[in-house]
Amino acid sequence: MLVAILAGLIVSLSSPALYKMLGKWLFVPMALLPFTLFIYFCAFLPSVLQGHTFTSEYRWVPSLYINLHFYLDGLSIFFALLITAIGTLVMVYAGGYLTGHPLLGRFYLYLSFFMMSMLGLVLSGNIFCMFIFWELTSISSYMLIGFGHENAASRYAALQALLVTGMGGLALMAGLILIGNAGNSYSLSTLLTRQELIQSDALYLPALLLILLAAFTKSAQFPFHFWLPNAMAAPTPVSAFLHSATMVKAGIYLLARFNPIMGGTPEWQLPLLIAGSISAVAGAWLALQQTDLKAILAYSTISALGILVLMIGIGTDKALAAMLAFLLLHALNKCTLFLIAGSIDHATGTRDVKLLQGLGKSMRPIAIAASLVSLSYAGVFPFFGFISKELLYEATLEAESNAPVSFIIVFVSKVASVVIAFVLGYRLFWRTSTAPTVVRHPCGRKLYMPPLVLVFLSLLFGLLPSQLATPLLNSASGAVLSRGIQVDLHLLPKFSMALLNTIFTFIVGYLAYAQHNRLLNVAPRLLPLYNTGPESWYQQAITGLLKGSVKLTSMIQSGYLRSYIAAIVLVHVGLVILSLWGEGPALNISTRLDQLLDVKVYELVLLVLMVGSVFFLFRTRSRLTSIATMGIIGFSVALLYLLFGAPDVSATQFLIETLTVVLFVLVLHRLPPFRFLSHRYRRYKYIILSALFGGMMTYVLLLVKQFPLQSELKAYYGEHGYMLGRGRNLVNVIIVDFRALDTLGEITVLAVTALGIMALLRLRAEKGGKL
Amino acid sequence: MRTIILSIAIRLLIPLFLFFSLYILFRGHNHPGGGFIGGLIGSIGFIFHAMVHGPQHTVNTFFRINFYGYQHQPTQSRSIYLMRMMRVNRWRKRKRHYLERRNRNRGLLHIEPIDLIAAGLFVATTSGMLGLFLQEPFMTARWVSFYLPFLGRLGTPLLFDTGVYLLVMGIVLKITFVMAEE
Repeated sequence: MLVAILAGLIVSLSSPALYKMLGKWLFVPMALLPFTLFIYFCAFLPSVLQGHTFTSEYRWVPSLYINLHFYLDGLSIFFALLITAIGTLVMVYAGGYLTGHPLLGRFYLYLSFFMMSMLGLVLSGNIFCMFIFWELTSISSYMLIGFGHENAASRYAALQALLVTGMGGLALMAGLILIGNAGNSYSLSTLLTRQELIQSDALYLPALLLILLAAFTKSAQFPFHFWLPNAMAAPTPVSAFLHSATMVKAGIYLLARFNPIMGGTPEWQLPLLIAGSISAVAGAWLALQQTDLKAILAYSTISALGILVLMIGIGTDKALAAMLAFLLLHALNKCTLFLIAGSIDHATGTRDVKLLQGLGKSMRPIAIAASLVSLSYAGVFPFFGFISKELLYEATLEAESNAPVSFIIVFVSKVASVVIAFVLGYRLFWRTSTAPTVVRHPCGRKLYMPPLVLVFLSLLFGLLPSQLATPLLNSASGAVLSRGIQVDLHLLPKFSMALLNTIFTFIVGYLAYAQHNRLLNVAPRLLPLYNTGPESWYQQAITGLLKGSVKLTSMIQSGYLRSYIAAIVLVHVGLVILSLWGEGPALNISTRLDQLLDVKVYELVLLVLMVGSVFFLFRTRSRLTSIATMGIIGFSVALLYLLFGAPDVSATQFLIETLTVVLFVLVLHRLPPFRFLSHRYRRYKYIILSALFGGMMTYVLLLVKQFPLQSELKAYYGEHGYMLGRGRNLVNVIIVDFRALDTLGEITVLAVTALGIMALLRLRAEKGGKL
Repeated sequence: MRTIILSIAIRLLIPLFLFFSLYILFRGHNHPGGGFIGGLIGSIGFIFHAMVHGPQHTVNTFFRINFYGYQHQPTQSRSIYLMRMMRVNRWRKRKRHYLERRNRNRGLLHIEPIDLIAAGLFVATTSGMLGLFLQEPFMTARWVSFYLPFLGRLGTPLLFDTGVYLLVMGIVLKITFVMAEE
């Protein structure tokens, strides 16, 4: 399975280069990637359906239990198939939607990287691995939402999505580590068997709250829902992918994945029920008041996600099966609807429902797809939507507690979806109109084939439920419940409450549609009310953060190098004094006095040289002299290193001193004339500060030498340096082998520093400032 | 600072500095030395060159590799075009007049010190990836089983040190050049 992820990574990274070679045919390899992966996962399907699970593990940082561990069971394969199948169609569609866009290669890079990280998330079997892929989806969605970065709204939406889901990501990391500690394992397959251990642990409640926070931010649940409608600033193929199989479903996946580990308790169910209910109703209510096609769909996604969370909250066998069926339906239909909205936008240049009418003749294939998908979305008989809606109603009616409340919530959400289905499937296309909207150009094949394929799929799932959907859903819900369950989906309705309710929903939905125009006229007047919602809290938090950091910066960043050094030195001295105060060991020189007084002549010479240079440095008025004097001090220090047996450090010091002198010489003639700017008393202040620091360091060194140096590490490196590191220079072996990761971090910091220096110097030069 | 003594001396010293820095790099595993020191030494020669001739001239002399381009004719087959390209680059001195008449500077490869930084990071990271592909933790050392004269035993730590060498050299050169250009 590493192959699948790596292939995705490689193809996505090579897409800008491929764009140069292939031009408009770039969509072929990019769509082939998810399609191949789809086939690849299909090959696993038969054995997974029989209840087998597959794992593959690649050691990464085994000492920290961070491994690339992949785990494939019913739930993972359900998501993986969904992601790859919808991914294929979205890739094709994007080729048509963004034809000729100069950055198409980069767009495909982001899109396939996003798909790859989502795939990694649903496949990961190690919780650290899961966290990493979770964050990768956040980052790549940031890139995708901000794809039109010339647009301020786009940048704002991207940052908002990143901050909200990033906050959830941090919560997820903390929550996962807590679960790992409680369950004493970081591997998912082990954790799945340790439900009692985790639920009885004291860390259960904090872990649960953190996981819920992560899932709610990602799945746009109230009060974190506001980023999702703003995310429609992304190009439509992205929205279609984001809303259907990826991103927002990641939160649902997380909840479903951790249901067997953490579920079944009131602490787990109650927040899910509350958040799900509010999101379902609020999303439905807000969706009906929008006139922008994509906004309607975005809010209805929030409503659908609310239903999914609610179903996980109910937690019965039936509810979870209904949840998965609805998830499948929602992925298929919402993707289709977004693709259709995108095609309409592409062809007519507007997404306003009030302006669009009579498109049935001019956009025939899109109109057919829209009508069929609306039938499925509204839950009409032969489509998969019908089966899913029946299941939802059955699940709420059979719920153990709060059955009427959850029933009403599902009902409201479903009425809203019927209204939306009427708007999209009927109003835009077939309602008689005197002045049909002008279509600027017909939609190409790439724009109408993907929605048609998706509609066909939802029809197929509806017509053959027992062959296609039942085994898939059974194995997936088996994974969610960690025991096998049997839910038979059937197309032909039995006469029951659920069927009555379905019909009732349809009738109420039609009546609501008749009043829809009136609601749209009222909606602008309600805007002030919505402006006090969670999004305004977010804005206040951001402005507060910015103002606070400005204040903090002006407080601690004076801009003078000398005050920074003074602060560092003072804090250091303070900390040392604090730790040596009281029970710190006392300095005892008397026994070692002769050892200290045993000074060689050359050491004395160096010392005199250094001290003399320091005093000379204070008096000199020439820059060149001071640089040379500083060089003397530096070289003397390097010599001292050499004398005390540290040739590596000494060589480095020599070279750095040389380079410093060279750099000084380069800038010397540009510097202003040498002047004494500071007052006399301030100079005394710094002399005292320096003396304090020097005295402290001397004291600490004397104190440290008082104790015999015993370290296991020293012995270890001495013993194994040659055997394991194959080198006789122990310092170098430690740097490049034993502690190579530290060195890698250090050189990365060096590289970043170099970039920073470069940017600073360039920036000043452009502004016309002198160095 | 155009002094004849320095400019002649540095022309002779640059190869010396480079070879010495490589020597320091490769001996680092058994004796004092290593990538960091080697990188610093290697950069000194270029810095002196930049002091004499200006940084742009140094970049053009040492960091620019020219590939000469050749227009693809519509009726020409791909393989003949590629062979022609290779020949043009091989005989570029002889064919200079011909090239200048045709379009110059097509597909010019231009390396900046900042590319050295990137290359250094890449090499250092890649040296750790080998262990990952062999189902071992990141940065697990791997050694070949034979000795080479001068270089000693080859292995991923040496590759890592080479990355450090390149990176340090790139950083020092970049900072110095930017400051000198100011």
